[in-house]
Amino acid sequence: MAGPVIEVRGLTKHYPDTKAVDGVDFEVRKGEVFSLLGPNGAGKTTTVEILEGLRAPTSGVAKVLGHEVGNDYSAIRRRVGVLPQEFEPFDRLTPAETVAYWGRLFDRAVSKEQVARLLADVDLAHKAKVQALHLSGGEKRKLGIAMSLVGEPELLFLDEPTTGLDPKARRDLWGLIRRIQGEGRTVILTTHYLDEAEQLADRVAIMHKGRIAIIGTPRELVARAGKTTIVLEGAGAAGLAEAQRLGVPAELEGDDLLVRVDHASAVREVLGRIAAMPVPARGLYTRRATLEDVFLSMVGAKMEDGVLRP
Amino acid sequence: MNRILVETVVFGKQYLRTKVGAFFLFIFPVLLIALFGAVFAQNTTSTFELRVQDLDDTLMSRGFLAALNNTTVVHVTAIPASEDIGEYIRANSLGVALRVPAGFQADVAASLAGTGPPFVNLTIYGDPSRSTYGVVVGVVSAVAEQFNFQLAQARPIVGFDVENVASSQYQAIDFILPGIIGMTVMFNAMYTMTAMCAEYRTRKYFKLLATTTLKKHEWLLSRVLWFSMALLLSLLVSIAVGKVLWNVNIPLNGITALSVVFIVVGVLLFAGLGMLLGAFSKDPESASAIANVIGFPMMFLGGSFWQLEMMPSYLQAVAYAMPLTYLNNGLRDALVYQNLGGIAFNLAVVSALAIVFFVLGSRLMRWTQK
Repeated sequence: MAGPVIEVRGLTKHYPDTKAVDGVDFEVRKGEVFSLLGPNGAGKTTTVEILEGLRAPTSGVAKVLGHEVGNDYSAIRRRVGVLPQEFEPFDRLTPAETVAYWGRLFDRAVSKEQVARLLADVDLAHKAKVQALHLSGGEKRKLGIAMSLVGEPELLFLDEPTTGLDPKARRDLWGLIRRIQGEGRTVILTTHYLDEAEQLADRVAIMHKGRIAIIGTPRELVARAGKTTIVLEGAGAAGLAEAQRLGVPAELEGDDLLVRVDHASAVREVLGRIAAMPVPARGLYTRRATLEDVFLSMVGAKMEDGVLRP
Repeated sequence: MNRILVETVVFGKQYLRTKVGAFFLFIFPVLLIALFGAVFAQNTTSTFELRVQDLDDTLMSRGFLAALNNTTVVHVTAIPASEDIGEYIRANSLGVALRVPAGFQADVAASLAGTGPPFVNLTIYGDPSRSTYGVVVGVVSAVAEQFNFQLAQARPIVGFDVENVASSQYQAIDFILPGIIGMTVMFNAMYTMTAMCAEYRTRKYFKLLATTTLKKHEWLLSRVLWFSMALLLSLLVSIAVGKVLWNVNIPLNGITALSVVFIVVGVLLFAGLGMLLGAFSKDPESASAIANVIGFPMMFLGGSFWQLEMMPSYLQAVAYAMPLTYLNNGLRDALVYQNLGGIAFNLAVVSALAIVFFVLGSRLMRWTQK
């Protein structure tokens, strides 16, 4: 297939009381990890569910693997794997049974060895014969990921895949996603973890209030935000007052004084002025702009666990 | 077809693993057949204990009590003459007792001679709401009547014969067993589908399944297939248990085999009703409550355990508005009465209701959102 794996043009999804998706445009190329990033309610899941054929759009174009999603989705269903946001496994089946069963629902006879390998990939081999009822939240999530992979999809939708996973499991899953990408498959990763998107995504689209606020590679977005932050640890209100007296735009994050510098060339000069301020501080360092800074500048708020914080 | 079979096997595995499913499918009907059979299937007449205070204690009063004993319906035991009979009845929670008055023999003799009272009364103390009361009144009056004939040296003239017009002799369990099978169909198909639809919706299983190649009609067919097979097995187990324990009167022939059709159509009917109820349930808990509100009245009024004619006419009208009534009647016509006319009528009603409920239920059950 020569064209994009996903093509979205002017996509909207309106409900009587809200515009969940309000004119979204983007494309996803083959082999890309494309991340939709945004707080809860930004419209990520609605967009993804339209692309998964689970919701009908109000208007616009949404093509997946060359097929208009409003038409016969069954033609491409076998080629698409999905881990839904609110995934729950079937309580009375074991992971081994579930994965084998799910494979059959994609018309794929899965051997015991394939099941064992998939469960090993998501670090669930030791729970292969335990009924899902007795799995932890993280283990259930891993089972969901194994299920999404069993049909060997060309396109994989992972909606909040690492929610509920411990840090090690998260990093293991990142490794698995990189491997999937290495096999030439396309991944749509919906997340509210900025570091996850920054680590994994080839391109990121930040969604806010049903629209895409910004789209690009993480490096492009960070460069566009373009700011380096100078941090004066523990400078507090005295530090803020001194900075203002010197005419340096600054803000407080907790007890730390933050000074954002737009251009790399100005960092040395501003750093010198801050270092010379006669206020007690625990330390002084510079911080490269991250997606978090991009998000803050685009949305005007921070995001913690999917919730916007002013 | 492959997906339907896979879905059927996987659902069956989950269903049996819940234990509750296995209980209501096999153990519950077997328990009911064993219990109801034990309560109703015996043909021997029970003997009631009748406490009697004989204040006369003469040849005639003892003869009367011996005649009561000879009926084998009651077994007479004595209340001491010193006891206050009212207190005694209360203290022993008796439903009925009899007192022979002092001077019974003398009064009877005087009455015969025309010098005493025209009537000599025995006194029955009792609670008419208790089942033994009516039996005792009947036995005592029958024995008293025979006594009167003997004293008057007369003989009864008008009597009656009994002619049995039924083609077979039926026991109570013959009637109850098809009702238990019908009730098992209702319990399993309706309760499970109601709870399952609510659970699949709230836990997003429908949405999850919609991401596969499985179609809604394949999912529905797999449920119908599983319940039909499981309930046919339950039917065979119920008949076998009924035959072994109580020698139920169910012939094994082609008409009996029509019960299979009732099972399958019954599954469609109650699975459809379950989907309908599940669509209006907020969560599995409220689904269970809604299923109980519909299921329990149907279980008791749908003719599973007793004949509709035993109920007041207004309750009979309610019973005839219940789908289970027609399934039970149809199963009874196929399994016991071998009545082809009844089978045709009940099958028509059950099939029509099955189409209505199944179409409505499957339309209301949505896998994806608009």
